[in-house]
Amino acid sequence: MEPLLLKTSLAAYLLGTLIGGWGILKPGNVARRGSMGALGVGFVLQGAGLVVRSIEIGTFAITTFPEQVSFFALVLAGVYLLTQVRFRLDVLAAVVGPIGFIGVLAALVAHGGAPDPPPELRSPWLFVHVTLAYLGNAAFALACLVSLVYLWEERQLKAHSVGRFLWRLPSLERLDTVNFKFLIWGFVLLTLSIVIGVLWAELYFGRFWSWEPRTIWTMIIWVIYAVLLQGRFTVGWGGRRAAALTIVGFGVLFVAFIGVNVLAPGQHADSFG
Amino acid sequence: MSERETARVRSLRSVELGERDVELWVVGLNHKTAPVELREKLAIGEDALGPLAERALERLPLREAVILSTCNRVELIGVAPRGEDVVAGVMSFLAEDRDLSAAAVAEHRYVHRGRQAVRHLFRVASSLDSMVVGEPQILGQLKEQYRRANESGATARVLRRCFEASFRVAKRVRTETGVATKSVSVSSAAVDLAKRIFDDLGDKTAMLIGAGKMSELAARHLLKAGIASVIVTNRSFDRAVELAREFDGTPVPFDRFPSYLPMADVVLGSVSVSGHVVGPSHMNDVLRARRRRPMFFIDLGVPRNFDPALNDLQNVYLYNIDDLARVADDHRAEREREAERAEEIVRSEAESLWRSLSARDVTPTIVALRGKLDDIRQGELDRALASLESISAGDREVLDAMTHAIVNKILHPPTKVLKEMARDENGQAAEVAEVLHRLFGLEARKGRDFGGE
Repeated sequence: MEPLLLKTSLAAYLLGTLIGGWGILKPGNVARRGSMGALGVGFVLQGAGLVVRSIEIGTFAITTFPEQVSFFALVLAGVYLLTQVRFRLDVLAAVVGPIGFIGVLAALVAHGGAPDPPPELRSPWLFVHVTLAYLGNAAFALACLVSLVYLWEERQLKAHSVGRFLWRLPSLERLDTVNFKFLIWGFVLLTLSIVIGVLWAELYFGRFWSWEPRTIWTMIIWVIYAVLLQGRFTVGWGGRRAAALTIVGFGVLFVAFIGVNVLAPGQHADSFG
Repeated sequence: MSERETARVRSLRSVELGERDVELWVVGLNHKTAPVELREKLAIGEDALGPLAERALERLPLREAVILSTCNRVELIGVAPRGEDVVAGVMSFLAEDRDLSAAAVAEHRYVHRGRQAVRHLFRVASSLDSMVVGEPQILGQLKEQYRRANESGATARVLRRCFEASFRVAKRVRTETGVATKSVSVSSAAVDLAKRIFDDLGDKTAMLIGAGKMSELAARHLLKAGIASVIVTNRSFDRAVELAREFDGTPVPFDRFPSYLPMADVVLGSVSVSGHVVGPSHMNDVLRARRRRPMFFIDLGVPRNFDPALNDLQNVYLYNIDDLARVADDHRAEREREAERAEEIVRSEAESLWRSLSARDVTPTIVALRGKLDDIRQGELDRALASLESISAGDREVLDAMTHAIVNKILHPPTKVLKEMARDENGQAAEVAEVLHRLFGLEARKGRDFGGE
C-alpha cells in the first residue's frame, strides 16, 4: 500500500508544481487553488505513506538518509500549505512542489531497503526530537526561499528594470516580514529540538551532550541564526542584509545535512549506545 | 376573394412579417470620432437619460433604447424593426435635444449594427473603447445608465439580454486579462512601485518636497491608494500650508524638512533648484533613525532634486521622472498585449450572444410550420377515418402514428437547416423564414423581438 500512496503523491506534487508554474505566468484564484489543492493531496498521501511505513517497521521511519529527505519534504510542504493562507506566497508553489516530488522519490527508493533502526532509537523521544528539528528546518528553508525572491525583486527595483514578472511577486516589505517570522519560528523550533535532544540523551544515555559532527553542526547553525535574529531585533537588520544572511544560514544547514549524512552517517548512533 | 386580392393581402402580410424581425443599432460618437467641444455639448445629465430614452421610443421607430452619456461618449443603443434605418433619426434626435444642428453632429457619428453592435457594447463595458483602456469607472456608469433606461421602461428583452451579458463579459475581461491592472500614468506608476516596496500604504507617510503640480498629482494618487499621512514642505511656506490643508497633512518649513525625513517612507521631490536637496550625506542619520526601514524617493524635479547616489544606499530606492515614464510605458505595452486577449474574449462572447439571440428567431416559424402540417394531417386523417368506419381502434392508432411519422420526416431536414442558418448568419434565416411563411401560408408570427415571444 505504501508504494501506491507514494506514487499517487508523486503525481500530485508534479501536478501542483505544474499548476504553480502556470500560476506564475497567469496568476489568479484558479491557479492558487489548483496548486494548493494538488500540493495538499501530495502532502496528505505522503504523510499517509510515512505512517504506513512507520507502522510496518514498528517505529518512526526517519533513520535512513532517504527517509530523512522525504520527511523534510513532507514537513516543508506542510508548513508551506499552513502559512500560505496568511502569507500568500503563491510563487513558491513551483519550488515546494519539486521538493515534495524529490522527497517522495527518496521515500520510494528507501522503501524496503532500510535496515532496522537500532533498538535505542525506538523511542517516542525520537519522533518529538526529529519532528521539531525538521519543522525548524522547513521554516528556515522557506525563509531562504522568501529571501531569494526578496533579493531578486530588490535587485530589479534598484536597477529600475521592472519586468512583467515583478508585478506578480509579493512586496519587499511582505517578503521581509515573512522572512522574519519564518526565522523566529525556525529558531524556536530548533532550540526546542535541541533541548528535547539533550534531555533525551541525559535521561536515557546518561550524558546530555556528545561531540560529533551532527551536534557540532547543529550548534554552528544555531549560532548563525541567533546572530541573525539578534541583528534584526537590535540593530534593525532587514532587507537585503537579512535576506543574504538567511540564505547563507540555510546554505550551511543544507550542506551540513547532506554532509553529515553522507560522510558520517549514524544518527548519533556512533556516539550513543 | 379574388386572386389579386389574395396576392395583395399576402404582400401586406409579408411587410408585417418583416416588421417583426428587429435589428440592433448603436449610433453615437465618442472620443475617437468627435472633439471634446462637441462631446461636452452633447453630454446628457444622468437624471435626463431615462426620460430621454422614453422620448426616443415615442419619436423614433425604436422598440427599445438605452442612451449612454459619459465624458467620452454619447450614444444610443436601440432595437428597431428590420429594414428601418434609424441612423439619421437618432442623430437628429440627440442633436435637437441639445439644440445642435444634426449635420454638425452627424459628421462625427459612428454606427454599428447587429453583431457589431453587440461587440461594440461589450467593448465599451470592458473598457476597451475607453480613452484610458482598462479604466474601471465605465462599467459603473454603464450599469447606472442602463438601470435608468430600464426603470423608465425603455428596455425589453433584447437590450436586457445584451446589457446583462455585457456586464458579465466586462467582469470576465477584468478577471482573465491584465487590462485593468496596470496604470499608465507617471504618477500612478509611482504608486505601483510604492506597492512593490511597501506592503500596506495604510501605515506609511509621504513627504512632498516642493509643492509642484506633478508631486501634487502623485500625492493624490498615493492618498487614493491609502497612504496614511502627508508632510508638505515648500520654499514658500504659505503654499505648503495650502497644499497640506488640501491633503489633511502637515506643513513643514523648508529649512527644517531634513529633521522630518526619518518619518517619511515615500519622498517626492519637485523643487526647482540647482543642486540636490537630499544626498547620501544626509541619509546616514535618517536611516539610522528609521532603523533602516526602506525609503522610496521619487524625483519629479528637473533638474533633479535627489542625488542619484541615494539609490546605492541599502533599502533606499530612487526613481526619477524618466524611470517612472519607462515603467508607465512598459505598462502601456503590457496593457496593449492584454487588450488583444480581451478583444478575443469580447469577440467570442459577442458571437455567442448573437447566435443565441438570432437562433431563437426561427422558432416561431418552425412552430407555425409544424402546426400547419399537423392541421393538414389531422384533417385528412379524420376524413379518411370517417370513410373507414369498420377499422379497429388498433388500426386507427397505426394510421395516426404513420401520419405523424410522415409529418416528422418531412419536417426534419428543413427544421435542421433552418436552425443551422439561424446560428451562423443573421438575415439569411429570417429571409428563409419569410419565404416559408409565404410558401405555406403560415400565420403571422407573434412576438416582437429576436426571441419571438
